[in-house]
Amino acid sequence: MEKEKDYLKPEYYENRELSWLKFDHRVLNEARDKNIPLLERLKFVSITSSNLDEFFMVRVASLKDMVHAGYKKRDIAGMTAKEQLEAINKDTRALVEMQYSTYNRSLVPLLHNHGIDIISAYEDLSEAQGEYVDRYFEETIYPVLTPMAVDASRPFPLIRNKSLNIAALLTKKGDKKEELEFATVQVPSVLSRIVSIPSQEEGRKTFILLEQIIERSIHRLFLNYNVVCAYPYRIMRNADLTIEEDEAEDLLKEIQKQLKKRQWGEVIRLEVEDKIDKRLLGILKEDLHIAQEDIFKINGPLDLTFLMKMYGMEGEDELRYPAYRPKRVPQIVPGEDIFEAIRKDDILLHHPYQTFDPVVDFIQQASVDPDVLAIKQTLYRVSGNSPIIASLAQAAENGKQVSVLVELKARFDEENNIVWAKKLEKAGCHVIYGLVGLKTHSKIALVVRREEDGIRRYVHLGTGNYNDSTAKLYTDLGMFTCSEAIGEDATAVFNMLSGYSEPPSWNKLAVAPIWLRKRFLKLIKREVKHAQAGREAFIKAKMNSLCDRDVIAALYEASAAGVKIELVVRGICCLKVGIPGISENITVHSIVGNFLEHSRIFWFHNDGQEEIYMGSADWMPRNLDRRVEIMFPVEHEALMAQVRHILETQLADNTKAHILQPDGTYEKIDKRGKRLVNSQEQFCEEAQNALPKTVHAYQDRVFIPAEPVE
Amino acid sequence: MKITTFAAIYIGSYEVSLKVFEISANRKIRAIDYVRSHVELGRDAFGKGVIGYELVEELCQILKEFRSIMDGYKVDVYKAYAGNVFRNVGNELFVLDQIRLRTKIEVTVLSNSEHRLMDYKSLAALPKFEKMIQKGAAVVNVGGGSMQITLFRKGTAITTQHIELGIMRIREKLSQIVNMVSHYETQIQELIDKELEIFKRIYLKDKEIKYIIVMGDYIEDMTKGFSKKDEDGTIETERFIKLLNKWYKKSTEEISLELNLTNEHDPLILPSVVLYKRLSEELNAKYIWVPGMNICDGIVCDYAERNHMIYFEHDFEEDVLAAAKNLAERYQGYSSHTEAVLNMSVVIFDAMKKVHGMGKRERLLLQVAAILHDCGRYISLVNQSECSYQIIRATEIIGMTHMEREIVASAVKYNSQPLQSYSVVSDKMDQAGYMVVSKLTAILKIANAMDRSHKQKFKNIKAALQERELVITVEAPESIVLEKGLFSAYANSFEEIFSVKPRIREKKVF
Repeated sequence: MEKEKDYLKPEYYENRELSWLKFDHRVLNEARDKNIPLLERLKFVSITSSNLDEFFMVRVASLKDMVHAGYKKRDIAGMTAKEQLEAINKDTRALVEMQYSTYNRSLVPLLHNHGIDIISAYEDLSEAQGEYVDRYFEETIYPVLTPMAVDASRPFPLIRNKSLNIAALLTKKGDKKEELEFATVQVPSVLSRIVSIPSQEEGRKTFILLEQIIERSIHRLFLNYNVVCAYPYRIMRNADLTIEEDEAEDLLKEIQKQLKKRQWGEVIRLEVEDKIDKRLLGILKEDLHIAQEDIFKINGPLDLTFLMKMYGMEGEDELRYPAYRPKRVPQIVPGEDIFEAIRKDDILLHHPYQTFDPVVDFIQQASVDPDVLAIKQTLYRVSGNSPIIASLAQAAENGKQVSVLVELKARFDEENNIVWAKKLEKAGCHVIYGLVGLKTHSKIALVVRREEDGIRRYVHLGTGNYNDSTAKLYTDLGMFTCSEAIGEDATAVFNMLSGYSEPPSWNKLAVAPIWLRKRFLKLIKREVKHAQAGREAFIKAKMNSLCDRDVIAALYEASAAGVKIELVVRGICCLKVGIPGISENITVHSIVGNFLEHSRIFWFHNDGQEEIYMGSADWMPRNLDRRVEIMFPVEHEALMAQVRHILETQLADNTKAHILQPDGTYEKIDKRGKRLVNSQEQFCEEAQNALPKTVHAYQDRVFIPAEPVE
Repeated sequence: MKITTFAAIYIGSYEVSLKVFEISANRKIRAIDYVRSHVELGRDAFGKGVIGYELVEELCQILKEFRSIMDGYKVDVYKAYAGNVFRNVGNELFVLDQIRLRTKIEVTVLSNSEHRLMDYKSLAALPKFEKMIQKGAAVVNVGGGSMQITLFRKGTAITTQHIELGIMRIREKLSQIVNMVSHYETQIQELIDKELEIFKRIYLKDKEIKYIIVMGDYIEDMTKGFSKKDEDGTIETERFIKLLNKWYKKSTEEISLELNLTNEHDPLILPSVVLYKRLSEELNAKYIWVPGMNICDGIVCDYAERNHMIYFEHDFEEDVLAAAKNLAERYQGYSSHTEAVLNMSVVIFDAMKKVHGMGKRERLLLQVAAILHDCGRYISLVNQSECSYQIIRATEIIGMTHMEREIVASAVKYNSQPLQSYSVVSDKMDQAGYMVVSKLTAILKIANAMDRSHKQKFKNIKAALQERELVITVEAPESIVLEKGLFSAYANSFEEIFSVKPRIREKKVF
């Protein structure tokens, strides 16, 4: 009899942060792919930068908080906060180095070959360019600069988080002692970081970085001083003073105590140019209270997020992928009654391959339909001028019962969501400003319509937010249905979100934070039972992150029992493959492509009576325990077939997919001799092919008279 | 197809609920929305005796939200009721008034019998129910403040008893000692056993019941995990008791975890476990059925039945008669004399239809009065009318409203006493009720007089209205001099009320 296996051993798990860094690495790999158009590669570098910034501000910051609070608990991989910080530091430096080597050695020369130059040192400007730059400085930059000196009467100023600044060492003119004084000036964030200047040659494009322009004329800011040296620097602070929701409860209390003691987030990273003057660095180190290990010396321009701007420059279309126009959904004809289309059959939507318009249209038609009684929707990360908001306001004005659950806690969406939420309220909508202690992450819209044979509910459920702009960049799946069982559940969900008691029972939906975890574990255990009875058992799933310990342990148990598990996990994966006797039956693919993979699909074989689910939740503790999430079944045969095809194509992807290896690294598949499969490109094609061919209303240039109406 | 959108609101001891239905000929009764909100009215009501200002605030707030939900569905008609919790408080009228003013919702407080009738109707709408009550069943309805046990045999309800012991009331009663004892199940059990024992002794005696049909909170959670018999969805009582025994010694948290309840520290769990366990053990039925209906379902069934929107297989009137008979039997007041009076009353009633202007319902009340007219003799021979009156008033009969019971009781009382003027009884009934009482009494007296000797001398009785006379034709092999003679006394009061003179005509039979 086998001894009870302990699936919770720390060595079976990968640390979450280190896994995330590997994901950022995979994104960087796209930037290194020579087959991708140049500007797309720039875009990827920019993405890795902004990702890394967010990672530091949130994840690293909270680890530092743990260290300060004396929190000694280990994570699922058995590492303490301190150990994690050390490992992260090492991996981050490697990543940053690769970023800049890619930029300096591959991308900049390629840009040059294509007639685009980025001036990184103002000394390289020609005379004419110099004059242009100086005038730009005089007219546009100088008025908004605020240089600040530091001395006995003026303490070190508050340097803003993520801002780019220039530090300078000055000596007073005429001072024989040549005492060094420190000054700093922020590079204005209101102005564009890259400035287009006239090129030396016809037909080329030249850009210069803003800080270079400032550095060139920095003496103009300190008229009574000599500028000894000036170098740019950038800091990152602990992001916000609200608690990072992912941490354990006891930890939160500790951190809260700590936070009360300080007024703004501490500095957790300092980036400086590698050639920076030692004395200047020393002053910064001391006044920013930063440790040596948190100082990054950069061989290139700081903060590469400006490359996103470059990606969007005018012209140069051949250096980008042609903009993809989402195709229409075959079952929905624009302009026709969408409710009728949904009544005919459930409809699956695959974004961004298919357009997000039907969802917007769904709300829009509902808002003006006299038979519609109520519209209810959850809104998370929606832009203020979204057409959905306008339709909801219109619906309320038309006398419909509109309930909207607005999630304001969406981090880094700093635009003032409160403004449009209040606007909705004024129009007559019932706005619920989120739930206490829970982030509403579910994506659901419900329309209640009074029809001839009674009330019918139309529901849209999805894996992605109701944001029409991100719907063009993220891959997501959605479903329209008017099934009574799901409609009843949808009503129950909104009742719960309004504060009423849970329904006596759920028909089809599994809702977090109460029921979803149990459901998943039950579904996995069921496959185990099938495998133990000798029947075929497999699980295929796609999600964005996998780091929940209980779910991973359940997957290990399943693999040990013989269940074949194939996963597509875009980002963090704390599961390790290939552990003998534990995870030999598990494979993990990660797809990083042109569109950001965001959909979540769960497919359980169940001995032939297959069950396929989609939902808003990943297999992460925060999704299963601390957020409101919805997982819904796909039951119509036709839709199930579509979803199966999507998942299988992704599992077959051999161009953009990385496979997780037993040693924790990710490798691309050996494509030799195989047919190339790029899942995202394939879906683009399929979306186009699914549309019925345009048929002319005439045949062979002969018009056809219509039949008379009886 | 005509669809009526109906909303049922119920205010209970710890929960306020709203259920919206669509009633139509095609799809019968279809539930479209169900919201519940937790408001602990019972705490104030059972503890303090009045509902405090803060709770009234909370309640009005929720009812206002309910109003907007109803408006959202464009509800055609609604009915709002409050249960036991309001019956017990001193400031009932003020609270109802507040609700009306602030939320524009009219709430009616249900008497216990009305409440049970609604629950009962929700069950009667289910086809399984008919089958079960044929074989003997007890419907147990456990609420926050009290519970109701109704016994059925051969398809009709024979008795229904109200026990002032509900889940919340148990908790309130024992709230003082909760902290003194680590496992206070024993105390709960003692409380329950006392009540159940009396019930069992008097009402259950030799009756065999096959099914217990349970409605109440937590019972659905407790039986959710059970595998049920395919044909009728019932559970074997033995297995249920075994499970409850397992939970008996566990803590609230442990039980809540097993049942996957929202509130881990729900103090009502333990009392309900003990209550259901004792009920199952004492009532001794083989199977338990949890139909999952609640009071809101009852409210809509009641409305649908009253307005003839839904056809019910079950005959509620039969229940009333069966319960009355059972009651009469208990007081040993049912005999062939009673049967004779019953038959005669009905004959006279039917003959006089054009004159008395009463309807089907009153005919039923007359029958009940006839069945029960002698029940008081059990207590006192001399004072029997007063005793009968009290017995009838105190006994619940499912299917009869409070007012109807008052009418029947009064009719029986004035059967042996002279009819008092309206001013004397105006506090108990309105004028219309008084009129019914007078008419029923008059008929009852005549019918009773015709069997003065209790020998059922009359056979083949027919009655017919001929101008200003009610001719009652009888066949009597024996001498009916006694009956005829005493008849005239009652005939006068009959004539006073109906302006019709009753007369006995003998038809000689050889």
